[in-house]
Amino acid sequence: MAEARLRVRDWVLDAQPIPEPFDFQALPGELWLLVGRVDSGRRELIRSIAGLDRPLAGYLELFGQAVEPLRARALGRLRSQVGVVLEQSGLVPAWSVFENLALLLHYHRLAPIGAVEDYVVNFVESCRVPQTLLPRRASELSPLESAWIALLRALIIKPRLLLVSAYLPRETLAVNYSVWAFFEEVIQPMNMTILVDAGPGALPIGSETRLLVMDQGTLRAAGMAQDLSDHPDALVRHYAGSEYA
Amino acid sequence: MAVIQWVSRFWRGVERLSRMVIVPLDRLLEELGFLSIVLVSVGLATRGEWPFLARYTGQQIYFTAVQRTYIFTVVGLIIGALTAFPLIVLGIRDPQILGRIMHLMIYHQLGPILAALFVAGLSGAAITAELGELRANQALDHLTAMGVNPYSFFVFPRLIGMALSLLILNCWLNVGVTVGAALMLNLYHNIPPTVFLRVCVAGLTPTALTLTGGMIVMQATHIVLVQTLRAFQVRAYVDIPRALPNAFTQSFIGCLLISLLFSLVRYG
Repeated sequence: MAEARLRVRDWVLDAQPIPEPFDFQALPGELWLLVGRVDSGRRELIRSIAGLDRPLAGYLELFGQAVEPLRARALGRLRSQVGVVLEQSGLVPAWSVFENLALLLHYHRLAPIGAVEDYVVNFVESCRVPQTLLPRRASELSPLESAWIALLRALIIKPRLLLVSAYLPRETLAVNYSVWAFFEEVIQPMNMTILVDAGPGALPIGSETRLLVMDQGTLRAAGMAQDLSDHPDALVRHYAGSEYA
Repeated sequence: MAVIQWVSRFWRGVERLSRMVIVPLDRLLEELGFLSIVLVSVGLATRGEWPFLARYTGQQIYFTAVQRTYIFTVVGLIIGALTAFPLIVLGIRDPQILGRIMHLMIYHQLGPILAALFVAGLSGAAITAELGELRANQALDHLTAMGVNPYSFFVFPRLIGMALSLLILNCWLNVGVTVGAALMLNLYHNIPPTVFLRVCVAGLTPTALTLTGGMIVMQATHIVLVQTLRAFQVRAYVDIPRALPNAFTQSFIGCLLISLLFSLVRYG
């Protein structure tokens, strides 16, 4: 069995009233959709795994390594394998799109210095994003372009774990190229573990979609929609039977 | 009843007074804590970070010192002329006394304060606005979550760049002030500019230079720490307009206190 990319144990999110602790693990290649009401703890779960918010208690393991005892430098190396997309694009507005995309490659030395430009250009091309965007300043981009560049910045590092807490773009920047085609061509071959909180009604749910049902800051149930459809909890059954997460 | 009201008013006054003492101390501790985080982060910087640190330090020097050279020279010339007028009105003609006055007033105190005022208002505000925006649009969150250390990446280059820039700008300002004063004294009192300049340069002892240099570096460090700290506390875009004047006021008052502290060391 493959090693878990992400494991949380006795995880207690920082919320009021204090939620119940929960466990969860995700394997390589798995895509998990977070579902639940507003303020159910979806956003807080993503942020706590990303290291942006501290949980009240719990144990986090990324790629088989416990995060807590790691020193700053080792933690930085570990986090360099995590791609993150939050609610806002988070691009540096004064920089060009190229500089935004190249930053993490330079910083984590993911490509030789002389090869970064080609790497970025090839990656952008493979994602069918127009290369004309590269010299433009991030502040000049449209919301759709910003959302795509933010996603590309997280993907360009070829992360082993992708955390998304944002409304995902519903169309691509290329003509006749769907988001699902992008998912199949670019994201799936990376074999990463993905945790998505895309907001209510954002993504379709199939019978084999993996769901994390959150409520009141804790995890009610985790599993494939078909397995959760006869869950004793009505809320879990409701989400398992929904057409959209 | 009246006694209770009086006692309650008295305690409220005591509370307000103690808050006036505690708040600045609390801010100082907060600043020192932030400085230690930045320094520790720099110690942990990876090899990939160093080219960025060098690049952003250079950028900070360019934006703060190089781009402001002209303004500082012009301001220096005007302040030099303004400084000379009271001396002319008072009829002070002895070059030795004039040089001493320049050192005590301008080089040791007014010059660094003016430079700090300008830098806190121009570059400091730019730092708060820029980093505040990165905080509000979640750029700092994104980069932190993907393994970038925001303290060594965003704060340290600005710290070094600002310290070097403020030293350079002080030099420019002093040159401007000296030339401006020399021209006015030559015009009204016929004091040869070379004599006045020689007297001014003669007073630049290593001790005086070290103390002034130390004071300027402390002021620059304080400005950057306050401005970045306030920027890092921004939660949303609406906080930025509020953070800007607060950061400016706090950094400038801090610079005045640093000047006072160094003057006490120098003359006290």
